[in-house]
Amino acid sequence: MTDSGTPLLVATDLVKSYGPVKAVQGVTFHCNPGEVLALVGENGAGKSTVAKMLAGAVTPTSGSIIVGGEPLASGSVKQSRLSGVRCAFQELALVPDWTVAENLSLPDGAPLRGFSQKRSMAAASALLTAFDLPHIDPRAAVGTLSLADRQLVEIARALAGEPRLLILDEASSALTPPGVQWLFTRIRELTAAGGSVIYVSHRLGEIAEIADRGTVLRDGQVAGEFVRGGWTDDELISLMAGREAERFFPDPPERATDAVALSVTELRSEGLDGVSLTLGAGEILGIGGLQGHGQAELLRALFGAAPAAAEEWTVAGRRIKTTTPVRSVRHGLGYVPEDRKREGLALEMSVGENLLAPWLKGYQLGGRPRLAMERGWIDGILSALSVRTRGSNELAGSLSGGNQQKLVFGRWMDRSRTVILLHDPTRGIDVRAKQELYGAIVDLAKQGVGILWFSTEVEELVHVCHRVIVLYQGTVADELTGSRLTADAIVGAAVGSTGSITLTTD
Amino acid sequence: MTAISPPSTPAVPGTPPQSPPPPPSSRRSRLRGWNSTGVTRLRREGAIAPIAAFVVFFVVYVIINPELLTRFQLQTASNLVVPLALVALGQLVVVLVGGIDISIGAIMSLCNVVFATQLLTLPVPVAILLAVLVGLGCGLFNGFLVAYAGLPAIAVTLASAFIFGSLAREVLDRPGGGVTKEIYLATSGELLPFVPVALVWLAAIAVGLWLLLQRTALGRHIYGVGSNMESVRAAGINARLTKLLAFGLAGVLTSFGAMMLASSTVTGDPRSGDPYLLSSIAAVALAGAAFTGGRGSIIGTILAACTLGLIGNLLFFAGVNSYWQYVISALIIVAVVGLPVVWRRVAFRVKGIRS
Repeated sequence: MTDSGTPLLVATDLVKSYGPVKAVQGVTFHCNPGEVLALVGENGAGKSTVAKMLAGAVTPTSGSIIVGGEPLASGSVKQSRLSGVRCAFQELALVPDWTVAENLSLPDGAPLRGFSQKRSMAAASALLTAFDLPHIDPRAAVGTLSLADRQLVEIARALAGEPRLLILDEASSALTPPGVQWLFTRIRELTAAGGSVIYVSHRLGEIAEIADRGTVLRDGQVAGEFVRGGWTDDELISLMAGREAERFFPDPPERATDAVALSVTELRSEGLDGVSLTLGAGEILGIGGLQGHGQAELLRALFGAAPAAAEEWTVAGRRIKTTTPVRSVRHGLGYVPEDRKREGLALEMSVGENLLAPWLKGYQLGGRPRLAMERGWIDGILSALSVRTRGSNELAGSLSGGNQQKLVFGRWMDRSRTVILLHDPTRGIDVRAKQELYGAIVDLAKQGVGILWFSTEVEELVHVCHRVIVLYQGTVADELTGSRLTADAIVGAAVGSTGSITLTTD
Repeated sequence: MTAISPPSTPAVPGTPPQSPPPPPSSRRSRLRGWNSTGVTRLRREGAIAPIAAFVVFFVVYVIINPELLTRFQLQTASNLVVPLALVALGQLVVVLVGGIDISIGAIMSLCNVVFATQLLTLPVPVAILLAVLVGLGCGLFNGFLVAYAGLPAIAVTLASAFIFGSLAREVLDRPGGGVTKEIYLATSGELLPFVPVALVWLAAIAVGLWLLLQRTALGRHIYGVGSNMESVRAAGINARLTKLLAFGLAGVLTSFGAMMLASSTVTGDPRSGDPYLLSSIAAVALAGAAFTGGRGSIIGTILAACTLGLIGNLLFFAGVNSYWQYVISALIIVAVVGLPVVWRRVAFRVKGIRS
């Protein structure tokens, strides 16, 4: 695409601050008609905030957005929609209790306009057929669809408005390779008709294929720009991460014993269709696979947070029929849940109390006297993980994401655990915190703790784990060790293919 | 580093959806077409259990007291349950947007006395209009504080309950007012033999409400706001206005209930609404509505209100001390709300063993 003509979108010096925190500090870019502009950056670089400002969901603190020569009335999704800007959000903006048809048609109506189920159903069928999504039932409640289908519906809804500017905020995060190709077809149709697309992503393979130009964000600022064909993966990664942020993965430690920490055969639960696995003491066993194939359910079932039954189930040699979180902790398990804010921490309580949470019994002392008694352990954990906090009395909610994650993890350290279950502990935290967590995980394994680690970052599984099992549709699709443990093999098994698939296109 | 993407889920054209298989109801609906979409909707809105509970209750009632099916008893029973059903519908609308209305009893008292006293001096239509406006005003007052000031519904409506309650006593401090026999006949008499007027009014209002909730965008917005406020906002819908209007609508429905009560008792009473607060919440709970919002059905609420409203009568005819009324109500609520939960557990156990 050429740079001629007036740009469709000009964003100048966008700033968004939340209190003292500046999420976006002075971002300027433009997008021409018929162009796909990629917005890339690591987690927390400000991509989503910029996308939300364009969509009207977030009001910029300062700066201007001009669409088609007119300033965008900010702060209202409706206004943005009227100016021809549509957005498919990363966190889905679909109402789970509405049907697909209702989700597709309702946002456009004035409140008091009549609404006909029959007509909206017909419109939805026509739309889904036109967009080549015949497998989605317009009558189904969105909450019953898979994550990928929901994302497809969300994209279809944005496309249905025939936008001048379409913002895709990590809209492909749950899509499989064929789903991504579907999306690219739609994008090409839109740009051929003169529309523009802002493609927010951190998947370099996709950006290589679809983006005409790109802007790299780092720490809320523009770190660089690139045009199609004029970049390599390595250049872009160093732009995104900054110089000092070279990724380093520690190797898994040598195993001292062959003792078994956890073994389970034919584990069944909601979303689990007979999973068998053995985890040795001191072993780091990775769990791979696409989201929604039973990884979260596996960890929850093993910890007793979801009802489950198995043919054989032992933890450190002790036979288990059914379990609950309380019993699991007694048996020597630890669990780092998916959502640290919702499931992991009591945000209104102190750092020290959050660390002690699994170890507080109802009849024991609590509060400051207990904190004083446990001072040694608490300070040990805080310094071992280098948690950046003003002390054990600070509220957990005031820590940054990475430091909160360290608390959820730290509560299981030095507490004679047999098995620790990790649900993607490094998601959404900065590189340094990741590094510190890798170190802590390896240290625990050295002490003989079995680690079951579900990660969405394939590189972590490849480098830090002894062994990786890949789940597909609630069962173990493949087990990878030694030379078979490669990123391609994990992704290949995850999409249910026997061969390997690579998403890089250049 | 290869550009391996973070995980994603397949469900692209051709790939079968992986996690939970589609509920059988959706498959059935494809076979039977339009009619069973209604059943699917009822199931999703949690109305099956209260409907079944009402049917069982009604059969038991008729067995114990076949006299219910006489003209007189049918009329008394209708006059008993219709005000509760209307107030429960008001509560339902608030619960649908994720709120709760503690002031609903006080709004009812206020509308009740406004209606009864204004009848003394003003023509009937004006008195009706005034009562409806008072209900609307009370609802909008609550709604404004909840939707635009962002205060929790339970605190706002608890506070406004005291205000509205005091206003009601200010308007009329002891039972009285000017409800006439004509008004009684128009609301609480018989339209045709075996057809009490009260039921006709209830049916008309329920159909109107159903049209509003199911056949206008506003109605679907009300369900959406309760289901997921953030999504609705991100989709560009005015979630605050929707909440405000839902509270206003609840006030209007409550005023209807208040007028039906004033007419059937032929008095205005500043305390008449008090017992309806807990009953309305109980009816909404029995109807299987989600108190987090987004789920609840009109028919379920009406039948739940009928069940709860008639328990006292049933016990009277069965010769049981009426104090047991509350225990029985409680047992019915726990059973109806709890059975689906127990059923899901049992189903999981059975499934787990079989596979």
